[in-house]
Amino acid sequence: MSNKTKNDASELIAGKIAKLPQAGELSAIDAWWGLVAVVFLGIILLVSLYPDPYARILSFVQDGVIVTILVTISTFLLTMVLGLICGLGRVSKNKFVYGLTSVYVEVIRGIPLLVQLLVWYFAFPAIVVRIGAALNFRPFQQYLANPIMMAIIGISICYAAYMAEIVRAGIESLPVGQMEAARSLGMTKAQAMRTVILPQAYRTIMPTIGNEFISLLKDSSLVSVVAVADLTRRGREFMSTTFMPIETWLMIALLYLLMTLISARIAKIVENKTKLEK
Amino acid sequence: MKTANEPIIQIRNVYKYFKNDIQALRGVSLDIFPGEVVMIIGPSGSGKSTLLRSINRLEKIDDGDIIVDGLSVTHHEDINALRLEVGMVFQQFNLFPHLSVLENVVLAQRIVRKRSAEEAETKALALLDKVGIYEKASAYPLQLSGGQQQRVAIARALAMDPKIMLFDEPTSALDPEMIQEVLEVMVQMAKEGMTMVVVSHEMGFARSAADRCVLMDSGRIVEEAPRDELFTNPKEERTKQFLSKIL
Repeated sequence: MSNKTKNDASELIAGKIAKLPQAGELSAIDAWWGLVAVVFLGIILLVSLYPDPYARILSFVQDGVIVTILVTISTFLLTMVLGLICGLGRVSKNKFVYGLTSVYVEVIRGIPLLVQLLVWYFAFPAIVVRIGAALNFRPFQQYLANPIMMAIIGISICYAAYMAEIVRAGIESLPVGQMEAARSLGMTKAQAMRTVILPQAYRTIMPTIGNEFISLLKDSSLVSVVAVADLTRRGREFMSTTFMPIETWLMIALLYLLMTLISARIAKIVENKTKLEK
Repeated sequence: MKTANEPIIQIRNVYKYFKNDIQALRGVSLDIFPGEVVMIIGPSGSGKSTLLRSINRLEKIDDGDIIVDGLSVTHHEDINALRLEVGMVFQQFNLFPHLSVLENVVLAQRIVRKRSAEEAETKALALLDKVGIYEKASAYPLQLSGGQQQRVAIARALAMDPKIMLFDEPTSALDPEMIQEVLEVMVQMAKEGMTMVVVSHEMGFARSAADRCVLMDSGRIVEEAPRDELFTNPKEERTKQFLSKIL
């Protein structure tokens, strides 16, 4: 091919590429929203075509949906805060801080989340009561665990250990030159972290954070074993009174699917919005 | 030429060891005077970048002392004050890719120099104009060419009003046709009387702007000579040998 035709061809291609929508524009209405719509329509159809039992199930579990969303969002916020603190600990040069956060991460990641929840709900209050008895301290002796509170604390502490490692990886993925440039401008280490390192690290780990949110949403179903009336627990309650396992769990599964699909789309939009400008 | 009596940088018998016992610097002493432009050349691994990076403590020295305008790099409390007086330009530019060109130049002025947003922006735009990037103020670093990025990096360092500028191989990562635009900015700075320490092999810069050239090898200073004499009329055998390879 001669040089001229080569140039023409590449110009043609460049023109075509320029006309394609940008990633950011596309994200708001990409094909995956179709799947969200299909699942949503499926639920609507089931409820309107077979109000008995599907409308009954839906109205029975609706407060469970709210609990699941509440637990997921508050756990996520706590996880982000705790994960950031521990992630910074994992890159700290202070040996004590590094050691403490490392032990936390290793211990928590080595115990199943379900077991951790059982510890927080059953063992932790029992310990408090025993301490109360030993010290003869009334408020401790009469301590009763709040299920939602314990569930939120339990999942947050578990997920923050994973989040700490994600944050650490994000920080360590940046070239050392970024910190050096910031420091050579006279910034303190904290200023450099806040304005240069973390904003870039979080952009890098944004896809992983999105995945964590979805895992969190699904793992929130574990709280049903510690007396939290979330979507899963409400489903079990409905099934045990009506003996309709197929219909109940179809509805519950569809509701979870709808929530995770919507979360994935939102995560994608946030990811595209925060991408580095190139 | 434009040298005052008192050196602004005093490098006193500096030693630096790396972990595997390699001696990066072995008793380096050098005085640099206000307004002087000093070029450091030498083979890779000779310690020239290490020496430069020691001046603002990006590398910690193990023995000796470096005093910059009365502040010592070995005194931990002085370090941020010292770094304010010393601007640094890196081989890989190290612009902050999540910030626009303007924000790159504004950021440290705001949080370190505590300037108002208006003052910092005015200063940033004036400097971007000076290095010829004014129109790109709202672009992002990764949208710029290497030469443009390096000129932004120079503006970013100058915005802090440093008394000294350090250049660590500022043109080594650039395509040949972009080297000139960066060198022009540097020559301009030299003419305006900035004290500059430059690790580079750019003959053009040595000829038009350097007051003194220093050749380093194996962590030591081998030869020092005014202007581009080191390039044209080397005295030491090691210098001749090195120059025959790069020229």
